[in-house]
Amino acid sequence: MDNTLPIEFTVNGRRQAIRVAPHHTLLDVLRDDLGLTGTKECCLVGECGACTVMVDGRIVDSCLMLAVEADGAEIKTVEGLAEGAKLTPLQQAFLDKGAVQCGFCTPGQLMAAHALLAENPHPDIGEIQEGLAGNLCRCGCYYQITEAILAAAEEGVR
Amino acid sequence: MQTFAYQRPVTLAEAVALLDASGSDARVMAGGTDLIIRLRDGSAQPKVVIDVKRIAEMCPGVRERDGLVTIGAMTVMADLASNELIRRHFEALAEAAAVVGSVQIRNRATIAGNICNASPAADTAPSLLVYGAVVVAEGPGGTRRIPIDDFFVRSGVTTLARGELVVAIELPVPTHRRVAVHLRRTRRRGHDLASVTLCCVIDDTGTTRLSYGSVGPRPVLTTDESGVLADPAAPEAAKAAIFERMFAGASPSKRSMRAGPEYRLAMLRVLGSRAVRTLVERMAAEWPAEA
Amino acid sequence: MSTSFIGTSPNRVGGIDRVNGLQEYVADIRLPNVLEAKLVTVDCARARIISIDASAAMQVPGVCLVMTAADLPQPMPRFGPQNEDRPVIAVGETKFHGDPVAIVAAETKDAAAEGARLVRVEYEELPPVFTVAAALDPAAPLVQDPSLRGNDPLASTNVLHEHRVGWGDVDAAHADLVVENSYSFPMVTHFAIEPHAFMAAPDGDGIAIWSSIQHPNWLQKIMAKLLGLPLAKVRVFAPDPGGGFGGKQHTKYEPLVAFAALKTGRPVRLILTLDETFQAVRRASCEILVRTGLNTDGKIVFQDIKADYLIGAYTDIADRVVGKGSYPGAGPYNVPAVRILARSILSHTVPSTAFRGFGNPQINWAVESNLDEGARALGMDRLEIRLRNLARKGDAFIPFDTPADGHWDQAVRRAAELIGWGKPLAPGRGRGIAVGIKSGPTTGLSQSTVRLLADGSVVVFAGTSDMGQGARTVLAQIAAEELGAPLGSVTVVMGDTAVVPYDQQTSASRSTVLMGNSVLAACRSVQAQIRTMAARLHGVDESQISVDRGVVRMPGRNLTILEILKPGLGRLGGEVIGNGEGRKEAEPGHPLGGAPAFFEFNCTAVEAEVDTETGDTTIVKHVTVSDVGKAINPLQVRMQDEGAAIQGLGHTLMEHYIFDEKGRIRNLGAIDYRIPTSMDLPLEIHSETIENADGPGPYGAKGMSEGALLCVAAAVAGAVREATGVFIRDLPLTPERVWRALNERDGR
Repeated sequence: MDNTLPIEFTVNGRRQAIRVAPHHTLLDVLRDDLGLTGTKECCLVGECGACTVMVDGRIVDSCLMLAVEADGAEIKTVEGLAEGAKLTPLQQAFLDKGAVQCGFCTPGQLMAAHALLAENPHPDIGEIQEGLAGNLCRCGCYYQITEAILAAAEEGVR
Repeated sequence: MQTFAYQRPVTLAEAVALLDASGSDARVMAGGTDLIIRLRDGSAQPKVVIDVKRIAEMCPGVRERDGLVTIGAMTVMADLASNELIRRHFEALAEAAAVVGSVQIRNRATIAGNICNASPAADTAPSLLVYGAVVVAEGPGGTRRIPIDDFFVRSGVTTLARGELVVAIELPVPTHRRVAVHLRRTRRRGHDLASVTLCCVIDDTGTTRLSYGSVGPRPVLTTDESGVLADPAAPEAAKAAIFERMFAGASPSKRSMRAGPEYRLAMLRVLGSRAVRTLVERMAAEWPAEA
Repeated sequence: MSTSFIGTSPNRVGGIDRVNGLQEYVADIRLPNVLEAKLVTVDCARARIISIDASAAMQVPGVCLVMTAADLPQPMPRFGPQNEDRPVIAVGETKFHGDPVAIVAAETKDAAAEGARLVRVEYEELPPVFTVAAALDPAAPLVQDPSLRGNDPLASTNVLHEHRVGWGDVDAAHADLVVENSYSFPMVTHFAIEPHAFMAAPDGDGIAIWSSIQHPNWLQKIMAKLLGLPLAKVRVFAPDPGGGFGGKQHTKYEPLVAFAALKTGRPVRLILTLDETFQAVRRASCEILVRTGLNTDGKIVFQDIKADYLIGAYTDIADRVVGKGSYPGAGPYNVPAVRILARSILSHTVPSTAFRGFGNPQINWAVESNLDEGARALGMDRLEIRLRNLARKGDAFIPFDTPADGHWDQAVRRAAELIGWGKPLAPGRGRGIAVGIKSGPTTGLSQSTVRLLADGSVVVFAGTSDMGQGARTVLAQIAAEELGAPLGSVTVVMGDTAVVPYDQQTSASRSTVLMGNSVLAACRSVQAQIRTMAARLHGVDESQISVDRGVVRMPGRNLTILEILKPGLGRLGGEVIGNGEGRKEAEPGHPLGGAPAFFEFNCTAVEAEVDTETGDTTIVKHVTVSDVGKAINPLQVRMQDEGAAIQGLGHTLMEHYIFDEKGRIRNLGAIDYRIPTSMDLPLEIHSETIENADGPGPYGAKGMSEGALLCVAAAVAGAVREATGVFIRDLPLTPERVWRALNERDGR
């Protein structure tokens, strides 16, 4: 018995029309059905932010969203940040400031940083820490991530 | 998680009928930030999940009309926290909404979901209680308006009847000047479930309304009309006596992992004192004594 | 000529893929025809397995295999890096909460989960021991069957091993003051953001294994033995782990997954959930009794230390942790008499394993805190007492062992200066200062190959695991430096045992030194061949030519390597290949197998403020100074030190397993196990290094990355003590614990 439902959404600018199981999360579908493995799976309870993506311009934990809920939405994942091979200033700042160690939390951090700068182009340190409080980094890159975001903000571009 | 039938009604009537027909076989999904965790850990195993986010009557938004501010059930925490009307008239609710989880959670978690989940630690509950919120519910029997203090029963349980959905929350626009603050205790500064929540509002008649949560099966609302707490000159002993009465309703769990009962009770008193102290200072600053 | 790469901070090699989502971790690799796996466990700490009924599970469409102990070779194969005591899957009895009894492999994750749900396990709960006291009780059940313990005289106890270290005569020593206290260090888990992931696939007449493992060669060795295969038929792919911290060093479920793959003839993949990682790896908790003898002039006369480490149900590397961690337990001081008894105590809990600091943080917490207490009793400044006793470079502070290998007082003085030690404090604040030491690798072998290609670009083959510490970058910097290649033209290949030469392990902060020296040696070999080429090309005797850092020097001229290489290779082209090794031989008779190649030394100083009504501790300022020899990549060094400091704040302020009365873990997962977020950081952090080029690694480097975690707890507790007067001996210093201590102080 096929329990799947048809949904249509846009992921990184590309329209997708697929069938998904109702109980599969957006995270499951992005990784397993669409092969976009940049978004990571970790805590599955909306605490760690490794699964952060943008849905209609807002960051969410994709592990806490059913894929069916994304019907009609515009999704952006880490793979959709760069323009082809050209990294965004934010991504470059992450590299330049040492904001990447093991890299597993990095996609989520980038999405949260991207969203923060979209809403608040010149955040202060407190606003950055609050804006990214939902993204855990066990390697402890927090200070460098903050510096990267400040540097990207200074450049005035996202 | 196990699979289920997913329904996404677009009208209220459809949703109510569906919910009424399914009874306990269905779970309502708003933001999903609580439900999906339960679906995954098996503590919820519905046959049907009813996604109510597209129902027009429940849509997100904050409107003011005829002395009432109405919050659409699907309004998310992030929008409550930044909404101009909420910040102006119900600042403690905005403060509470701003600390629910992380940005990611606040972009999804709804006010209706927060109260219907009925966790004793629900962050919006204390402020809704002190502000005298009314829950607007629609069900097979029509519309009901439930004062928020009559809404919570105990952890996970509300007075919603079978087939009923929360469509909006109404808050009376204040007729007095008032100051309010929302405080909570957590295990770390980063986002956390609260071990104690507390909201306090004092108006210019000196009436203090104080609500607290996570120290018992449901959030508790208390009121003091003596004016003692609002009085900067009142002796500590007098205030302590009032706090004692207010906090008598606290019965924190002995089994909680987040904090032990003695600590919770002590923190209740600390937060209560701090809240009142903060508000008394703000009153003095914001409302200079009339000449 | 190219500028030096050493001491600069070029961007992370391998960084680009980490910021554009293309970095492949094990869980991102999907082989065609792969089966997804799920573990089946029972919800108790210890149980006798009566029966396992897989019939309902096998009915689930898509389920291909349910494997239990009965399906594995008899007798049950066992493995382990120290003792081969761990069964591939639980047999007869589960020994800890989360010990799997079956593995289900299915076409989809859903089917595997459903299958796992339907496996019916009949079991009988047995009483577990999960505290030191319970494990040591004479009536306690034995965690390990004595038959697994060989000739061990302790086989009929839960004490796996006793480690004794000492010198001088503690009992005869006279001290003006003796300070004795008991301390405890909590059970904590690594919480790498990437949960462990394992995949195995039959590969011709051998097997291929993918794992988030930090030690690919060690895994290869264990798998070859378990499967009865030659090493050359076991290929381990080790993609860069998403955080390791020691928790991914050793074999865990690879054998189980491999047996499942061989049984089904298909690739099988097992990705743990975060909750399952809490049940797979942890740090040993510890109870420490310290007796410190001091004279009124502040000199430490003796240290008498008893440390009981609660390890898990299987040895893993836990006993080595206890032995190596306790060995320098008396600290980086000159202490005339020392007696340390450290015991590994088995329990029905998750097997503890390596975790940044490797047994040192536990003892450090107790010994440094006790020294603070001694200083207080003597009315002596806590910085002063440390400087007074600190070993000087060259001191045999552990007799007959590696002498103190750094000017450690420089780090201490710098940390004191940065924290403003001795300056007036705002009310409600306090400062703490502590020092930490950890032994580097005691033995080791890292082999590498460097290929200088025809256009001067370079490929480095090095088996180190880059799990975030930046090994790839440092090794690339060394190769670029030595061969005069632009950094962007250096490729580092890691993580494939079929292609990359042997590296014993990535641990003990060893890689910059051992693998760095190996790559350096390989580069020297390439340089020697270039020299030979140059001699041939220019008709000069080799003895008159030197090749160093990309420059070929001969009488009358200097050339670049490329200017020799191109003509040297000639029409046939080709490349120049160099092999190298970094080796530290074992020293039989040494209790650790060898003296440490270097010590990691760190001084941490903290200023903290305590909210005395709530017990909240705010770290206002955190200073960490490490003695690193040479920071080949200063930014990466800083990142490691700050990261280690933050991780140390985790166990200091908020992390701990919570058990129920039956030995089950209550706080599995991210909601009730708290680690520091971006909002839990010190308000200010300063991390610096002391660099005297006095390490055994390339350019005088030492290893680093664990030091800044070692003494965080003692520094913070010292600050809390000064701010409030409360002396807390148990971690973590949660607000509730501090609040209780404040109540006791006030007699409430």
